[in-house]
Amino acid sequence: MAELMHTPLLGELLHTPLFGLLLTLASYRFAQWAYAKSNSLALFHPFIVAAIPVIIVLPLVGVPYEEYREQTALISFLLGPATVALAWPLYRQLHTVRSVWRPLLITVVIGAALASGLAVGLAWWLGAPETVVGSLAPKSITTPIAIEVARVTNGDVSLAAGAVAITGIVGALAAGPVFRLLRVEDDRIRGFALGLVAHAIGTARAFEFSEKAGAFGGLALGLTGLLTALALPWIWPWVSSLMG
Amino acid sequence: MIDGLLILLLFQFLGEVLIHLTGLPLPAPVVGMILLLFALMLGAPGMDKVSEAAGALIRHITLLIFPLGVGIVLQWHRYQDNALALAVSVVFGTLIALVLVTLLLKVLLRRSSHGSGGGDSHHG
Repeated sequence: MAELMHTPLLGELLHTPLFGLLLTLASYRFAQWAYAKSNSLALFHPFIVAAIPVIIVLPLVGVPYEEYREQTALISFLLGPATVALAWPLYRQLHTVRSVWRPLLITVVIGAALASGLAVGLAWWLGAPETVVGSLAPKSITTPIAIEVARVTNGDVSLAAGAVAITGIVGALAAGPVFRLLRVEDDRIRGFALGLVAHAIGTARAFEFSEKAGAFGGLALGLTGLLTALALPWIWPWVSSLMG
Repeated sequence: MIDGLLILLLFQFLGEVLIHLTGLPLPAPVVGMILLLFALMLGAPGMDKVSEAAGALIRHITLLIFPLGVGIVLQWHRYQDNALALAVSVVFGTLIALVLVTLLLKVLLRRSSHGSGGGDSHHG
């Protein structure tokens, strides 16, 4: 393998966006296949599986992570339009939940503050520095928005992305036992709680309960992301000064 | 597809411009999302063409994000000092939030469905 990498052509190709994009798309495709094979088990979420080939291949061929990030800048750029795109499902689901908008709105305000506040409080209590705490603040909101918010809260983009994904997976895994324990049978509650705390991964889990749960999950995901993105940049300077 | 991408990029651009003009401390794509939401709610013509591109981007959000996310492993040396804080915050923070939000919804939605006759509450 190492021999092959030292031939001039391959050596050059490794340092072009072609390599990074190819590796990324192939890893993602493989992860999608594995996820379907596992019957959409949260532990086999494409985020986890797709990361494995990249983590193995990059050190093997000697491409530093920073360079890989530059090679895949095209993919990361699309996070911007993907955030704007969230307006579409939000718009469509606003109509389906008109009758209960008031309790849902109250829940979003309290729940978004809880989800973010617990993450920030626990990390701060355990002595994490501001970059880490700032990366965790948006962990319950959907990734593209979380990345944008982490930039405002002096967070680290990679850490924020990882924290968001793991939050989603923990939420999706815990949902079954938690709802059983709390005797929740209302799909509106299951969906909304999942979407609020565990964003898109939680919403995907909600769809496994029912279509209705999924719609409430999507709404919660949109509203929580929006509220957190609107509130955190204003609140953060104050939180930051509290942390000293 | 192209129409949709055009709409999305246009609204992201409008978000950038608005932030530039007002100095709001908000992410530009989020402002773009709010502007697009308003445009949709006001029934601006042609806006439903966004559905295809929006659906594709949202469906494949994992693809867009994991090149950033793998950094947590590949640059672990930058984070390992805070491993405990990270693990506790992400795992327990999420579990506690899920329990509290579920309980809150149980209380609030029970009251609201009683008020509206319980027509849309679904049990079993």
